Amino acid sequence: MKLEIKDLHASVEGKEILKGVDLSIGQGEAHALMGPNGSGKSTLAYTLMGHPKYQVTSGDVLIGGESIIKLTPDKRVKKGLFLAFQYPVSVQGVSMFSFLRAAYNNSRPPGTEPPTIFEFREEVAAKLKMLSMDETFLNRYLNEGFSGGEKKRAEILQMALMRPKFAVLDETDSGLDIDALRIVAEGINKVSGPDTGSLLITHYQRILKYVKPQFVHVMHQGRIIQSGGEELSRLLEEKGYSWITGYKEEEAAQQPA
Amino acid sequence: MIAVVSQKELGAFDESLASALSESRSEPRWLRDIRLDSYGKFKELPTERNPLYTKYASTFGFDISGVGVSPVPAKIDFRSFFQGYLTGKERNILLQGNETQVHAELDDDLASKGVMLLSMEEALRKDERLVRSLFEQRLARPESDKFVAFVGAFFNCGTVVYVPRGVAVDRPLRRMFLLDGPKSGVIDQTFVCAEEGSKVVFLEELYSKGPAASSMVASTVEVRARPYAQVDLSSIQLLDEQALHVSNRAVETLADAKATVSSLELGAAVSRSRTNFLLNGRGSLAEGFEIFFTDAKQRYDFETNLFHNSPDSTGSTQARGVLKGESQSIFKGMIKIVNAAKNSRSYLAHHAMLLERTAKSDAIPGLEIDNNEVKATHSASVAQIDEEQLFYLMARGLSLDETKRMVVLGFFEPVLSRVPIEQTREGARFMIEGKWDGVKRRLVDRETLLAEEGETTPEVRQTEDIFERHYKYR
Ligand SMILES: Nc1ncnc2c1ncn2[C@@H]1O[C@H](COP(=O)(O)OP(=O)(O)O)[C@@H](O)[C@H]1O
Ligand SMILES: [Mg+2]
Repeated sequence: MKLEIKDLHASVEGKEILKGVDLSIGQGEAHALMGPNGSGKSTLAYTLMGHPKYQVTSGDVLIGGESIIKLTPDKRVKKGLFLAFQYPVSVQGVSMFSFLRAAYNNSRPPGTEPPTIFEFREEVAAKLKMLSMDETFLNRYLNEGFSGGEKKRAEILQMALMRPKFAVLDETDSGLDIDALRIVAEGINKVSGPDTGSLLITHYQRILKYVKPQFVHVMHQGRIIQSGGEELSRLLEEKGYSWITGYKEEEAAQQPA
Repeated sequence: MIAVVSQKELGAFDESLASALSESRSEPRWLRDIRLDSYGKFKELPTERNPLYTKYASTFGFDISGVGVSPVPAKIDFRSFFQGYLTGKERNILLQGNETQVHAELDDDLASKGVMLLSMEEALRKDERLVRSLFEQRLARPESDKFVAFVGAFFNCGTVVYVPRGVAVDRPLRRMFLLDGPKSGVIDQTFVCAEEGSKVVFLEELYSKGPAASSMVASTVEVRARPYAQVDLSSIQLLDEQALHVSNRAVETLADAKATVSSLELGAAVSRSRTNFLLNGRGSLAEGFEIFFTDAKQRYDFETNLFHNSPDSTGSTQARGVLKGESQSIFKGMIKIVNAAKNSRSYLAHHAMLLERTAKSDAIPGLEIDNNEVKATHSASVAQIDEEQLFYLMARGLSLDETKRMVVLGFFEPVLSRVPIEQTREGARFMIEGKWDGVKRRLVDRETLLAEEGETTPEVRQTEDIFERHYKYR
């Protein structure tokens, strides 16, 4: 099964941000999406998940050959899609425990019996341990007052419980110190089984030491301007984005209008 | 402009009715005089005006002149009357159908310590001196509020809760009203008095049995927490959508006493509620927790004031409401700290969430502080439900409706989780969920359901001191 993004154009408040994105991710594949700030990486992530503010103006997104662009976000979850947010949203008064339980029950294949509260507790406890998180997490309000690192871990915890087919991880590495980065990266590796296709959005190379992508893509001004293997990320690290974006811009400038 | 209860409608409530009520209940002369005095104030005071009612008076068409207030002599079989409202395990409860008491019981050990949970009539028979002193030192002054005066003149029922010095009542005392039928009038004058060093929890519930066109529940509840006493009051209102609900509360805390008022309002066409906390003793503590959830064309008008009249007193009141449909609410609140109340702390918070563009809410907080050595603050907000929260939860597989439900229920938690009475806290969650799902649920239904389901989601409570939170950066 594949997640296919075909010539995707999307706008926010009438302004076109994605200008024809093509990308195909198979289950079991790890892709990294890099690019400077403002290049449209988060816009792609939100558009894939179906944020109502992001309008698809043309192109398509398919999972297993079926278009998902008309589906509400909850229906996309049921198709196996997951997004780890760059900026997770906090919700007052909603306990982590009841939230996780709802997310868990809503991402089971249809017809599966939800676990009892006790079974669920055990399942969560195991995942918390894997991410070096304390059980008191469960008694806090959703993302409320969480540190940057806690929020990112909580996103991976949700991924671990929801077991998606395709996971988009939007800058899950940013704002983490080196220990937290290692824990989160190891978490991502453990959670991504042979059936998970992932798109790891980042603009630093450092997480790629832990999470080894087979494919690296560079986004610039709403398009993927270069794709390659892992070596591409190392080149970017050495030479900076201007190496690639500058070159491409020059080339574009030479084209007749 | 027409008000919800216009002068013309109130015309049916006249001096002869006040006398007739007193006579039919064979009241002592001093009480009849109090009624007539209240009536005088009632007549003098101007009609209360409020933009919530004046504009919409015609939509619910409440006509108070249709309300009947004469006592019903018939004896009612309370078990069948309250069927479905009781589990049969309730103890220490007073049940009332309209203005008539249908059942009262109090555990022997409490009664033998001098604890009272009595109807006004019983209390007058048992301890007229006590009742007289409560009336003569009324905290809710008839000259200050038209509806306090109204209730003082025309009350047709009432409750007296009395806890003698040093007695800690370890079980909640309860009362439950069932408003039955159209054109019913329950006009209630209630006193809760906790003597020095005593402790009591008093839970009241208001429900309707069937449609209640032109029906009204008006009540004045006075709470006295004498030095070192602790009173936790809770009030749950789920009247029929056609009923009118008016309430006044006056809550006094003397030296080192503590009083809390937790209220949940879900029902009635119009609910108009005033709570005055009178922090009259040094070191006393008063806390209000108000939760409401309105829909359709409901109109809620709430006011809570904190009067700090003594040094070292701490007062807070926090309200949270969610409004659906075309419902509307107003919150008013005032912190008043007199010069003598040095070293007092006071906090007032009003937050509302609107679920539809047609719902409206206003918050009008105020401060009057005559002293520099105090901490006082308020916060208020009225906002639409947050789109980013909705998207985040939907991205975790929850449907739009489940998502809204979770966000709404969560919105109440910062206040709800602080409610000190477990039964009210858990019951309120259960009843709010019910209203969200379009079913009327009562406290008793939760117990029934718990017995069937057996599993619950663990409760998360806020414990942080609100004053710490609001002052730590100063
Ligand atoms: N909600 C939004 N409203 C307006 N502009 C937006 C919004 N989201 C993104 N943009 C714009 O789209 C462009 C791409 O942003 P974004 O996708 O966040 O980039 P990246 O994640 O690569 O840093 C930026 O110019 C940004 O200002
Ligand atoms: Mg981004």
